[in-house]
Amino acid sequence: MQAHLARKMKTGTISAILLVVTIVTIAPLIWMLLASFKTPAQIFSSPLVVLPPSLYLDNYKAILLGSESRLPFLWNSLVISLLSTALVMCIAAPAAFGFAKLNVRHSDRYELWILSTRMMPPIAALIPISMIIRQLGMFDTKTGIILVYCAFNLPYAVWMLTIFLRQLPREMDEAAMLDGCSWRKIFLRISLPLIIPTFFTVAIFVFLFSWNEMLGALILSGRRAKTLPVAITEYAGGIFIRWELMSAAAVLQIIPAVFVVILFNKYIVSGLTMGSVKG
Amino acid sequence: MNASRTEKLLFIAPAIAYLLVFSIFPLIYSVGISLTDLNVVRKGTGNFVGLSNYVHLFSSGSLFVRAVTNTFIIMFFALLIEIVLGFIIARLFYLVRSVRFVTILRTMYIIPIMITPLIFGLVWSYVLNPLLGVGNVMLKAAGLHALPWLGSPKTALATIVMIDVWQWTPFLMMLIFSGFMTIPHELFEAAEVDGARLVKKITHIELPFLKQVIGLALILRSMDVFRMFDLIYATTQGGPGGATEVISMFAYRQSFNYYNTSIGSTASIIALIIITIISNFFNKITKETRG
Repeated sequence: MQAHLARKMKTGTISAILLVVTIVTIAPLIWMLLASFKTPAQIFSSPLVVLPPSLYLDNYKAILLGSESRLPFLWNSLVISLLSTALVMCIAAPAAFGFAKLNVRHSDRYELWILSTRMMPPIAALIPISMIIRQLGMFDTKTGIILVYCAFNLPYAVWMLTIFLRQLPREMDEAAMLDGCSWRKIFLRISLPLIIPTFFTVAIFVFLFSWNEMLGALILSGRRAKTLPVAITEYAGGIFIRWELMSAAAVLQIIPAVFVVILFNKYIVSGLTMGSVKG
Repeated sequence: MNASRTEKLLFIAPAIAYLLVFSIFPLIYSVGISLTDLNVVRKGTGNFVGLSNYVHLFSSGSLFVRAVTNTFIIMFFALLIEIVLGFIIARLFYLVRSVRFVTILRTMYIIPIMITPLIFGLVWSYVLNPLLGVGNVMLKAAGLHALPWLGSPKTALATIVMIDVWQWTPFLMMLIFSGFMTIPHELFEAAEVDGARLVKKITHIELPFLKQVIGLALILRSMDVFRMFDLIYATTQGGPGGATEVISMFAYRQSFNYYNTSIGSTASIIALIIITIISNFFNKITKETRG
């Protein structure tokens, strides 16, 4: 009886510690969320205003509507992330199928090479890429950024999809072969439908990587094709920083990430370790 | 059963070609630029100068040497603290894993790892702002001295480490937690009942199961730190006085603010070489301890 009670006490204490740890960890984000509902006067007031006294929505109105709207950049981010994700998945899926099923010679070497292109610091590729993109007349266009983001995320998608396609039983292909299916048909009608959930999980990660990317957009865009992360950093420059507007824009930036964590938290471990650890 | 050559090619060629055009060709191009004196706004540059850019960057007292040193300092301290804290927190989460409320907490705890470091950089520069930041207000409330945080060369690098630890300890926790889940239940519980001493239990029973995930986390995190740009760009841009300069920031500024494309390329190629060495090194270590 006493052992039982002691155990309960221990569980309660540990849970309380973890509650504090969690709150402390996400406190900066909460502080930012609060700031996004404050008036400029409340931001600069002393003593500090912790909780905004009323639900003040003008910051969100200002960044979404109005003359200083950041909506075009939000739209750029969305279009660039979605289209580059689509492009990545269209190129990656057949390649992954090839590596997983078609006995490509030295396939392991190709795969490792593909993986290693992901390891390189983006700046190493971006310096020459920016020169090439300018020469092609694609500087400050969404197309230019989409093409580059696709190159950044392609290795990841190929690698992940290969892992999952390899897990499909080979007997299925053999049976389809006997029925006269071509490899193309096996790929489109049998393998792809079987990995649809994985396919979309990988796509969502690729989307988020593109959504979060900043350095590439900073280098490849001017005023028109700018993405939300680049637009947000512009609040930080200068002497007089509009913290309340910056916070509101930052909240919009992190919404997709928070959704992914909540809805896909089972897949995060394998998603972020290139499939080498199962969640 | 075997596919024909053309069939194989049709499946994999687009991806290979894409990466050749957008990753490998730029890289070779970049190596080429690093051997010249190219400055994109100055005429008459782009002449072959051999390895003199490399020599120049490694000359003593150069900002690049400082950037490399800073990168390694951040890597060492951030990773060390993240592993220790990540282990402790993962162990606590594991001990009470059956409590439903804790499962929800665990999800909330890992939110930072999917958020771009850019946002954390901006939020922290707000929190640590000397005039209106909540950071110093809390220090003073606790009876401590206010700190200059990102504003002083003495504290800026440590502050960057702190911000990195704050965001990425959850990543280590998540990986180590999934390592804990591979420990056979009986083994973990049996040692508990035996009353084996905690340290012994951790080193003899738990760590062998966790070595692999910790090694992997080290590789992934060290590559992240090596690429670190967003956080620095959002907070200090390398300042004050080069105190938080890192490799990517240096290469970016050289290429796109000063238009010294050749120097920027050289810096990024050196970064690439170092990163390859590091990941091979960690890979070897984890393989050896596994075998």
